[in-house]
Amino acid sequence: MPPTEEDFELELRSLPGVLNVGMGHRENGDVDSVTLIVHGQDPGSIQGVALQIASLYFPDAVVTVEDADLDTADRIGENGRVALVRAAFEGPENACEVQLNFEGAIGTGRSSSGPLIGGVEATLAALRDLGFDVPYHLIGAVNVATERGWPVMVTLRSNLHDVDRIGIAQSDGDLASAAKATLDALNRYLTLPRNFRPRGS
Amino acid sequence: MSGATVEHADAFGHAYEPWLFQTMIDELSTGELGISFVYSVLELLAERHGLKDAVVVITDGAMGPQAFRLGRETVDAEQLAKLGSIPGVYCDPDIVPFGERDAVHTACRLSLSLHYARYSAAHDPLTNIANRRYFDTALHTAAVQSSRYGWHFTLVLADLNGFKAVNDSSGHAVGDDLLRTFGFALRQSVRRGDTAARIGGDEFAVILSNAESNEVSGFTDRLSSRLAMSGKSVAFTIGTASSPRDSSNPDELLRIADARLYEKKARDHA
Repeated sequence: MPPTEEDFELELRSLPGVLNVGMGHRENGDVDSVTLIVHGQDPGSIQGVALQIASLYFPDAVVTVEDADLDTADRIGENGRVALVRAAFEGPENACEVQLNFEGAIGTGRSSSGPLIGGVEATLAALRDLGFDVPYHLIGAVNVATERGWPVMVTLRSNLHDVDRIGIAQSDGDLASAAKATLDALNRYLTLPRNFRPRGS
Repeated sequence: MSGATVEHADAFGHAYEPWLFQTMIDELSTGELGISFVYSVLELLAERHGLKDAVVVITDGAMGPQAFRLGRETVDAEQLAKLGSIPGVYCDPDIVPFGERDAVHTACRLSLSLHYARYSAAHDPLTNIANRRYFDTALHTAAVQSSRYGWHFTLVLADLNGFKAVNDSSGHAVGDDLLRTFGFALRQSVRRGDTAARIGGDEFAVILSNAESNEVSGFTDRLSSRLAMSGKSVAFTIGTASSPRDSSNPDELLRIADARLYEKKARDHA
């Protein structure tokens, strides 16, 4: 069982709280620097253990440990609201994908109806993927005020009651605008998904 | 595999990307899928699409979220804060089709899982030295080679003195810490080609390659020195058996080393 650089990296990644390992190499291929990004652990104690491990594989390697400030990521949920993480459009297939974040959980939705209608459909699908009960459907077209690049307006109708929800948003491109407009329409009316477990519970 | 039909994934499908599938086959023909494969795939992805950067975030139940960046670079804190623990492949520029990203993510997750499973199957999780299963295989191999080619090796069994009392009086956390300390000192003390293993609660074994029993003292000196440097008081007793001099049968070697260890313990207690 000769020690390998792969096992070295695996051993470091197995330490509690380690999210990422970066390595620098000498010309002869030996590792000469190791950087660990950790979260939720004391960087000092992780560095102590990492130095011990490194001494077995590459005794001369310099080991540094950085604390990842994931507070920003935690805030993606915008105080309990669903937030858009990512919206991507693939032209030839007219396909789009939307990723949403709610309290650290990620939901993904897809549609092949183009960036505007598809953006709404993908966002509804992503909300359902997160576990939300979303009894709404899109009515009419998605309206772009005046011209492309201006705010997008979305009207959703409840399947249960004769109630319409209207959302408006302007973002980078039609898809992101449509996704955000959908969230604008629904965010205040979403109830917590059944069996939802907050991050870290 | 050359006759296999591989279809492109559709926009949101999960079919294998032909280039990725071929890379996996190539990797498997020369070794095993593992962390290196993750970096190789990121390199190929970047090359195919002219990417400046690529990161794959893998959420594996055993290890928690793990981010890998093109070129084994560190993912800076700001980037990591943005990605959080969201699994997926992130590219700069963001031009890689969904299906291809999905396939890359799946392949990388599989590789990491396989590597972790392979490592776990051979290592003791507390001390990160070989486990009993790996040790048994290594001892068998060494015994066969000794019998066939006359290669020498010495089996060393080591037992921590008073470990049960420490565990009972100070708790399992302190006991585990002692085991970790001893395991780490063993790793530092063996030479390349030797095998150190934890084969029971506080029982350790070392296969010293190309060594007769009179050469064991060098190893035990190194071990004692490393333990002293740890600042923790860890006393141990050893028993040894050499092959082919004592036997070339693995079970017999274990029995002899074990008997010598307990003889020594009894003498020390007397």
